[in-house]
Amino acid sequence: MQKGYPRKLIIIPAFNEEANIEKTVKDIEENAPGFDYIIINDCSTDKTRMICTQNNYNVIHLPVNLGIGGAVQTGYIYGYRNGYDLAVQVDGDGQHDPAFLRKMADYMDRSQADMVIGSRFIDKKGFQSSGIRRIGIRYFTILIRLLTGQTITDPTSGLRMVRQGVMKQFAEDYPKDYPEPESVVTVLRSGKKIIEIPVVMRARNGGNSSISMNKSAYYMIKVTLAMLIARIRDNSGKENLC
Amino acid sequence: MLTLKLQIIVAVTIISALCIIINMIRRKSLELRYALSWLTAGIGILILDLFPDLIKTIADIMGIDTPANMLFFLGFCFSLGLTFVLTIAISRMSVRMKKIAQELALSQKELEALKSENTKKEI
Repeated sequence: MQKGYPRKLIIIPAFNEEANIEKTVKDIEENAPGFDYIIINDCSTDKTRMICTQNNYNVIHLPVNLGIGGAVQTGYIYGYRNGYDLAVQVDGDGQHDPAFLRKMADYMDRSQADMVIGSRFIDKKGFQSSGIRRIGIRYFTILIRLLTGQTITDPTSGLRMVRQGVMKQFAEDYPKDYPEPESVVTVLRSGKKIIEIPVVMRARNGGNSSISMNKSAYYMIKVTLAMLIARIRDNSGKENLC
Repeated sequence: MLTLKLQIIVAVTIISALCIIINMIRRKSLELRYALSWLTAGIGILILDLFPDLIKTIADIMGIDTPANMLFFLGFCFSLGLTFVLTIAISRMSVRMKKIAQELALSQKELEALKSENTKKEI
């Protein structure tokens, strides 16, 4: 751990990623120097846990399956409590190329943004998702523009880097499922700055997308409602428990 | 309207249901907090069963012509209210469960880090 440099954390949510997790970690170790990582094993039912323990990975095992939102939030809590300056989410399925992380961190420094999103749709290179999904993403872009006045070309991108302020915000309150578009609205509403940079994403190595075809109608309606509610929500309303 | 036979059947059913509920509370397999609405509902039905004239009186007050319709309506409202209260309870539980799971996992992580630090020191 070097002093004086910003401490950077990669959050890897992993649910049944036995096929990809080793590749993902190796990729990060090779292509993202200066970044620490934490794997959040979301109570996987396959060999993910065994692989992590065998390789002595830096991992947190959730005792019950919390879903993507709860898993990623655990990573943000870990990052915030351990004094990291920035955190970035990299999915465990190999879609995100760690080579872009340094570029994102540099960009974050220069632009003074609170959040940097890696967007597939600026340069329109690499894996572009299927046509029908692109229409859905385009719809979210328009909805975010209506709600916040800002344009986010890839609001569903999981590749997102945040500063400590947003990390704290996410540690306190983060959507449960399909968190990306909704949290974009929450962050923008709290007056923080989001910038996108072009990235190239790969098709998934294995495993299944969290959004299957027959769930997509539910997904669209749920996320739309969540975004509308995020727009009218009182930002001080945290998950008050203790 | 209510035959004596039906009255007795309803009364016996309700009383045995109440007994089961109370026994479950006693054995702590049902929390009093959540059983309270069931107890109230049971006692309410029992009162209406023992004094059937009450049903007609209430229906008259509410402006409902057929007393049976009023029973269905009230029953429906009760179920609806109960499910809503349960939904609220589930939401609260799931938030708490998430928080507890996260804290547990984070503590476990810290504990393991401390343990490996200790073994390093011993070596």
